[in-house]
Amino acid sequence: MFFHIVLERNMQLHPRFFGRNLRENLVSKLMKDVEGTCSGRHGFVVAITGIESVGKGLIRDGTAFVTFPVKYQCVVFRPFKGEILEAVVTLVNKMGFFAEAGPVQIFVSKHLIPDDMEFQAGDMPNYTTSDGSVKIQKECEVRLKIIGTRVDATEIFCVGTIKDDFLGVINDPAAAA
Amino acid sequence: MEISVPVQKATVVPKPFIRLMRLLARTLYDDNNLTTLSDNQKKSAKGDSRGNIVMVLDALMRRQWVREEDLASDLKKNSKQVRKILRHFEEEHLVTRYQRKETAKRAKIYNVAVAATAHGREVDNVKLHTQSYCCLDYQHMYDTARLRLQNIKRKLKDELEDKYTLQKYGCPHCNRKYSALDALRLISMEDDAFHCERCNGVLVVECDKLSSKEAVDGGDNAKRRQRQRLQFAEALMDQINRVKDIPFPVYESFPEWEARAAMDARENGDFNTNDPFGSQGVNGSTPMPYLGETKVEVNLRDGKEDGVPSSKPMPQWMIRQGMNLTKEQRGEISQEEKVGGVSEGEVLLSDDNKPSAMGNDNDTYLKETYYAALLQQLEAAQKMNQQESTPDIQSATTCSDRQVGMKSKREDEEDAECEEGAHVSANGAGVEEEEEEEDDGVEWEEG
Ligand SMILES: [Zn+2]
Repeated sequence: MFFHIVLERNMQLHPRFFGRNLRENLVSKLMKDVEGTCSGRHGFVVAITGIESVGKGLIRDGTAFVTFPVKYQCVVFRPFKGEILEAVVTLVNKMGFFAEAGPVQIFVSKHLIPDDMEFQAGDMPNYTTSDGSVKIQKECEVRLKIIGTRVDATEIFCVGTIKDDFLGVINDPAAAA
Repeated sequence: MEISVPVQKATVVPKPFIRLMRLLARTLYDDNNLTTLSDNQKKSAKGDSRGNIVMVLDALMRRQWVREEDLASDLKKNSKQVRKILRHFEEEHLVTRYQRKETAKRAKIYNVAVAATAHGREVDNVKLHTQSYCCLDYQHMYDTARLRLQNIKRKLKDELEDKYTLQKYGCPHCNRKYSALDALRLISMEDDAFHCERCNGVLVVECDKLSSKEAVDGGDNAKRRQRQRLQFAEALMDQINRVKDIPFPVYESFPEWEARAAMDARENGDFNTNDPFGSQGVNGSTPMPYLGETKVEVNLRDGKEDGVPSSKPMPQWMIRQGMNLTKEQRGEISQEEKVGGVSEGEVLLSDDNKPSAMGNDNDTYLKETYYAALLQQLEAAQKMNQQESTPDIQSATTCSDRQVGMKSKREDEEDAECEEGAHVSANGAGVEEEEEEEDDGVEWEEG
């Protein structure tokens, strides 16, 4: 699920970035530092959308660095148990398959893949129905449901299922090609 | 302010309803996922000890409308704590609450009403602020029970089909366990297999599956929980079936109740026992020195008192199983009290009015109440099957029959919807209509 929230961060800036462009420098460093990171609490920071405020800089003892408290608005993505996501398959093996929904990695274990789909080894490992009409392989898009999340300080990993109504392959580029 | 409401006879609660209420209250203090409470609800319920919840519920079952402050003081509890528990009950739809700004006059009316049902004491220095009153809501409770049952069923079914279970993996060499949540760390790019972090052995799929929640918890209690949930579902289903064909006990809305109780007090001039709870006066009647001088400004539109009991109820300790008594002589409460399948002695122990009248030691009282409630639960489970529910049905219908004539007088009351349900059930007919309402309730809850 996406959220638009305000976060705060203390930015350290070297004096060589001071001057007329101080604010711009601060913001671009913030983007570089924060976008794409993940915190267990808020999820993945997708994009910074605005700066709320930049506080007074504090010179750090012993170094020339100055610390600015910056409040910024950003879009974060945090997967939840029970949430339905669309994801791209990245890896298929006999244990199941891995998929990505943006920054989130999801694993679907074999027993959460419908029983009528069998694993086929080979150059392009895949899960296929007996009549061959549905195939899950690398690069294809699936709709899945999150059934468990593992949230660490800097990482979120999910386990999903496609064993439910309206879940499974939604688009297979290989089949279309 | 003028209140014109018909006089209604008090409602006797058939025992299956009481048992159902107890079952549902259990979900408030059983921390495991017997049910599908939201996390928020779970968190808020966690703060209360099981004892407190049982105690408050027990007290409520012996009362109709009661001012929450009075309830707290009767239980010798912090009113904040009691209110918190009541709020949970309300969230769970076990209780209706009624709040209003109170003037001195209104408070007095309530006090008279309370005195008439012989529980609670006159509070002399009533402040002029918002007062809240509460009362069990059996009808709503029934809907909640059905919803809860459905949720549990769905959950059990999901588990059976293991739709939402995390795959477990084990290392055949060092026996270390992993779950699907570790997949990212276990996957090896060289072959397709998962490898043990410790010994690099190839992991194998384990057969015993746990639901994701349990895997996160550590999985120790999985079996126990599932069994508990199953037992709970069975008990719930059993109870719902018992209750299904019995008309709901419906308490009047608060203004109605207050008016009726106040009128009882005025007309009889003594604490009378029309109210099912009135028989508690036997155990310790509350002195009412102020009754003579009270001027109650309740305008009851020719609400005639019918059925002032011809004979006084007998004290509970005098009633024996084989005695041939009328309901009034039994004081009606006796049936309700036996609901849990408890002997008379225990009922006396857990009686709420007793300590206030007798000045019991606080701690002893709390313990007694708690143990009595526990005992009731245990024994109820055993005796439930043997006991006939027919007498309850009879008593419920007899008592609601009396209402039927009076009911038609009023249509414009606020709680028309709730009363509508009462009407249906009171007549003992129109079961279909009832069903419809319940279904609506369920759908609404789910949406
Ligand atoms: Zn190992």
